[in-house]
Amino acid sequence: MIRAEGASLIYHDHGREVAACRDIHLTVRPGEFLGILGPSGSGKSSLLYLLCGLKIPTHGRVLFDGRDLAAMADDERSRLRLGEFGFVFQQPYLVGYLSALENVLTAGGGRTDPDHALGLLDRLGLAEKAHRLPHELSGGERQRVCVARALYGRPRVVFADEPTAALDRRNGEQVVRLMNECRDGGALVMVTHDEHMLEEADRIVRLDDGEILSVEPREGRWREAGISNGIFREPDPLR
Amino acid sequence: MPSFRKRLPRPLSPITYLVRNPGKTVPLTAVILLAVLLIAGVVAIMDSIPYSIRTIYGYSRLLLFAGPRGESQLTQEIVERFQRQKEVPVERIAVVRAAPTVVRSIVGKWPFAIIGFEQKDLAYALGRMGTRRLEGRLPKQGMAEAVVSEPVARNRGLKIGSVLMSPDDTDNFSPFPVKVVGIAQSDEWFMFADKDYIRGNHFPPIDVVLAFAPTLEDQVRLGAWARSEFKGERVQLLSFYEVERDAKEMFRILYAILNVVIGILVSVIALMVAMLMNIHQGQRLVEFGLLQALGHTRRRLLARSLTEASLLVVVGWILGVALSFGLLATFKAILLDPQAFAMQLWNPQAMAYTVAVPAVVLLVACGTVVWRFRRFDPVGIVERRLV
Ligand SMILES: Nc1ncnc2c1ncn2[C@@H]1O[C@H](COP(=O)(O)OP(=O)(O)O)[C@@H](O)[C@H]1O
Ligand SMILES: [Mg+2]
Repeated sequence: MIRAEGASLIYHDHGREVAACRDIHLTVRPGEFLGILGPSGSGKSSLLYLLCGLKIPTHGRVLFDGRDLAAMADDERSRLRLGEFGFVFQQPYLVGYLSALENVLTAGGGRTDPDHALGLLDRLGLAEKAHRLPHELSGGERQRVCVARALYGRPRVVFADEPTAALDRRNGEQVVRLMNECRDGGALVMVTHDEHMLEEADRIVRLDDGEILSVEPREGRWREAGISNGIFREPDPLR
Repeated sequence: MPSFRKRLPRPLSPITYLVRNPGKTVPLTAVILLAVLLIAGVVAIMDSIPYSIRTIYGYSRLLLFAGPRGESQLTQEIVERFQRQKEVPVERIAVVRAAPTVVRSIVGKWPFAIIGFEQKDLAYALGRMGTRRLEGRLPKQGMAEAVVSEPVARNRGLKIGSVLMSPDDTDNFSPFPVKVVGIAQSDEWFMFADKDYIRGNHFPPIDVVLAFAPTLEDQVRLGAWARSEFKGERVQLLSFYEVERDAKEMFRILYAILNVVIGILVSVIALMVAMLMNIHQGQRLVEFGLLQALGHTRRRLLARSLTEASLLVVVGWILGVALSFGLLATFKAILLDPQAFAMQLWNPQAMAYTVAVPAVVLLVACGTVVWRFRRFDPVGIVERRLV
């Protein structure tokens, strides 16, 4: 569905070249939960922006359904984001003078469908608070409104960039769980530096210094974890 | 069925922002409103001065003065030349005497002529001035009596029996107290007396010719004929043409100054409002960045911002015009009308001046919005690199 072919993103920072992403080869498959894991500054966000067309690669290309994102006009990429993608950002950004419900309605390229939006808010446990303004909601509630907004247009891919970073552990896990449950067949690409948040991921991309270290299926990870647990148990000096 | 359906919420409609943020939109609207009020008020009051000239001396549309200059014997010749010409029909020629008095205007006293008619011409002159009804009577031959029109009576505070001119009134001097014996219900400003009284008691000792054409168009043509006929001769002409010409000339410089002042005012206000708008736009960078990241096109967001600004400015202007109209009407009714001071309530020129405020505000506001959107990276916003 989305395919990066040797995509690189180089920033010019005061005359110095910073390679945020280097020679990325990656495919996002329909309906999968793809985790992108890496330390801060490793280029996770940059990769996400490349995949969703908010940034254009300086080398290589990114294709959506076989179409090169870089070849599209700015407006066309915008319409693609509105119609096919959903977004959850690190900060729970909402429009301050719009209610939770209205904020959800700002997304999606189709016709306004308040019932669908209310249904999503209900599934996210916000039925009672649909008409509150953002400042009347807690951080976790706000991020759940953002999740509802990301899902409202029935996107084919939801992009989430550290959606849990501004939340405590409990709220963070809840947001990820709900995002995963409510995506109704859409793919989920989630960036995080916290491996715990990726327990339900199908595949995990490990990133460091702008380069992909590994792309592992989660099943494999479980097996690895089992093995490493075994390895751990044996040489434990306290036993 | 559709009538039962709840109206769909329109979160990104420009109205939504304007209505939900009264703390930002109301002060801006108020500044534009006040600016419009200020400019409309100043221009309306300024304009009322030349307008007063046209109103007070408006009766000159209905007649043509032709007086000898420095040679009092010329009067008879002037009469004959008016009678001889075949170009413009002349309905009546009256030989009159005039004396100086004053009327009050918004900017002080202005000279005004009391005209002494022969008894045979008095009723005609009153009719010519569009008199609908005469309260009281006409001045009698040789008596210190006058008939004034209703606006003059209001302006000078005169009733029947009041003294219009007197020996101890330096502005309105006459050796005998001249009493008002009639008030003519007319919209024109005029004071008429008996010719014999004026001839016997006032300078200048000159008989002046008043020529009346049958229609207003003929009156204009008669003026044009007289200007070419008497060109270079010792004849002084006075008609609405001269009144207009002098009023225009008198106010040319004043209007130039007014234009500069209003230009500066408009610039200051427009700059201020545009700056405020710019600050409000700046506070909404997160909103714009977020919506753009979600996939709203730059063009759509730009259109929304421009619509918001336009609505704000247009609403401010309309409210300002409505309020100016109301306040000026009140001002006119309470302060001007009792003294018959003239002011145009519906003044297209004042309205045209006020358009400059919303126009410049809109231009500057839109300019800054476009400039802001031109190079705007939503990633910088959602990544919190900017803001
Ligand atoms: N706009 C930018 N200008 C210059 N350098 C940038 C910019 N954005 C990101 N970078 C650099 O690119 C690298 C990767 O950044 P980012 O993708 O945000 O990493 P992560 O999301 O993993 O923390 C970092 O070294 C960062 O400093
Ligand atoms: Mg990041």
